[in-house]
Amino acid sequence: MKNKIAIFGYGNHGKFIAKGLLEDGFDVTIIESEKHFFKDAKNDDFEKVILSDVTKDSELKKINLELFSQLVCVMDDEHLNVFLTLSLRSLFKDSYILSISGSLNVTQKLKMAGANKVIDLYEVSANKIYNILDKPIATRVLEDFVNNKSGIIFKEMIIPKNSFLDGIMAEDIDFSCHGVLLVGMIDKELGNSFTFVTAGISHKLDIGDTIVCLGEKKELEAFEELIKKEGNIDENCYYRGR
Amino acid sequence: MKELLLSLALFLHRSARYKATKTFIKTLLFDTNNPYKRYFDLTIIFLVVSSVIILIYEVKNPVPLWLDNYDIYVVSFIFAVEYLLRLWVHNDISKMLIKEYNDAKFLGSEFCFYAVLKEGLLAKLKYMLTPSAIVDLLAILPAYRPLRILRVFILFRVFKLLRYTKSINQFVDVLVNKKFELLTLLLLLLFIVLTSGIAIYILEAGINKNIDTLFDGIYWAIVTISTVGYGDISPVTSVGRAISILIIVSGIAMISFTTSVIVSAFSERLSELKEDRIIEQMNKSKSFMIICGYGQMTKMFFRQKRKNIEHYIIMDTDASRVKSAKKDGYIAIQENASSHKTLSRFDAKYCDITMLCLTSSDVENIYITLNAKSISRNIKVIARVNDPETIDKFKYAGANELLLPSLVANTMIYTAITQPTMYKAIHAILTGKSIANIDEIHVHTSHTMLGKEVKELAFTSNKLLFLGIERNGKFIFNPSQDMRIEAFDVLLIMGRKISLDYFKLQHEGDIQVEK
Repeated sequence: MKNKIAIFGYGNHGKFIAKGLLEDGFDVTIIESEKHFFKDAKNDDFEKVILSDVTKDSELKKINLELFSQLVCVMDDEHLNVFLTLSLRSLFKDSYILSISGSLNVTQKLKMAGANKVIDLYEVSANKIYNILDKPIATRVLEDFVNNKSGIIFKEMIIPKNSFLDGIMAEDIDFSCHGVLLVGMIDKELGNSFTFVTAGISHKLDIGDTIVCLGEKKELEAFEELIKKEGNIDENCYYRGR
Repeated sequence: MKELLLSLALFLHRSARYKATKTFIKTLLFDTNNPYKRYFDLTIIFLVVSSVIILIYEVKNPVPLWLDNYDIYVVSFIFAVEYLLRLWVHNDISKMLIKEYNDAKFLGSEFCFYAVLKEGLLAKLKYMLTPSAIVDLLAILPAYRPLRILRVFILFRVFKLLRYTKSINQFVDVLVNKKFELLTLLLLLLFIVLTSGIAIYILEAGINKNIDTLFDGIYWAIVTISTVGYGDISPVTSVGRAISILIIVSGIAMISFTTSVIVSAFSERLSELKEDRIIEQMNKSKSFMIICGYGQMTKMFFRQKRKNIEHYIIMDTDASRVKSAKKDGYIAIQENASSHKTLSRFDAKYCDITMLCLTSSDVENIYITLNAKSISRNIKVIARVNDPETIDKFKYAGANELLLPSLVANTMIYTAITQPTMYKAIHAILTGKSIANIDEIHVHTSHTMLGKEVKELAFTSNKLLFLGIERNGKFIFNPSQDMRIEAFDVLLIMGRKISLDYFKLQHEGDIQVEK
């Protein structure tokens, strides 16, 4: 169930997202109401494509959407998208619904309709303009990280049982000798909010905490394996300048 | 004589100093970008104001001799010099002569020296007859003492100030546009005034003790038609009164007609005048942003309020969008940014211009990019790309930075699905939340960081995360601790804004770093 995702709409956004998810090994189901988009999805070799009138609750009920971990509403038609979000919320109270919005008013409507997360098409881009104006190089480098163009990516990992990281203060350690940088973490003890390592708050790492690292994919994978191990702290590496 | 003048022209033409001086004077008189023009203008304004004050003062009080001399000689002398300079830089006779001479030599035809000289002098004479030149000349006249009446001409010095008021020029511009209507009205007025003036003279001269000459008649006609009606002269015969009635009625009609012509001329050009003002202000600010299109993207941009954008102008071709932008409190004009004429009104030579092409059409955005780049390569263009397939075209067109809202949004959705934790982090970084601020430090040649090893910079103890160095266009991620900082490196550092500011301050050399 964890990786079962339903994508409503195979238009501009649906295509990109569905393809990316498929590549990463997610179980993707596409639901479309337009015939030509339905055909597109079929032609793009998606196995689970459903043609359905999403405005009808009876049709939605047939799909067993409660089995999916996330419902992603990315229909090209904004009005339909809001309506769909509302229908899904009323039918499936506990589902995680993610919607895309093309304008400020729609963002508000989607939130009222019960979407768990709304991504505004223009919000990040608008911010990017400020970033370009202020710090062009940092913006480009970051963009490459996020879009995986430079080979350096963000990755989140959960601290497993028996890991040597358990019980260590986050500010005392330095992962850079392993080729990765610790960006931040989610501490279970402090609620599920994300904390940046630069926030200046002392953090004890515990089993089950999620850490977000930045680095080359290979190094990140190696590091993920490494933290599974028990062991001692490498004196040369872990304590920076102490 | 001819040879002498020609060789003089040649000498002047070849003299770099002469040319430089002439260019300088020209920019001093006309070009607002000349830094000294301001002082020059202020001087002239001071002279005008002071001489008018003296004129008013001396009506009832004796003026000390030195002040009188200042007024007569200093002010007039400076005005005379200014007048001559304006006349001098108006055109370039020596250049015309040399050109004609070279052309004649090349074609083997006869060199018409005097024809060219005449042409040049005529151009100067034509300049002398322009209203502003006449005002300048009249402003010098009061220096002639024997004729005290010329003192009144000091008032013409006030007219010199008109040169500095743009609104008057615009007013004149508007009137010139309605030249035909106004001239017709003037002729009609002249006709009515003359006929009724003559009529009253013929009918009442001798009968009416106040009407003695034709001038009295015309004076009465003007006073009556303008509805001023002093009443010092009034008709006494019935026919004279009948003429009065006619002249009063037509006077009212004419005044209202003239007013309506001028008002309509202004309302026609009001938006244009406002635009001119806005653009002029932009050019004065030296660094500004032109935002094309007022759609979702632009609205979002302003809503972010990341920092105060002082100088900007929104352009949209759609009247309703311009209206809504104005309603939202932004500076907007209805203009087509893809037109060469529109963009060339901005001073790309002296100003630092950033263009944001944010319309929803790729064709439009590319066209605007090309248009901006064809005006000046210095204009920085940030363009929105809707269809990723057009990216190459934008690059060819010369856009400096590209924005792909749909791609960015798709990446965000994708991240939100696959790695929900990271989504928050990336979102915070991309939207520049203060806690996750990523900043760049440009290492200049005299920077205190120069030659230091990475470990010496103590990023961790400053609560900063050192991401890497951009060196020669390449990004070095997580460099080793003993790598040395070189000149022109760009350091990318993440941290809270206060940590970053403090770190920057330390390394500017203002604060000693504690070891």
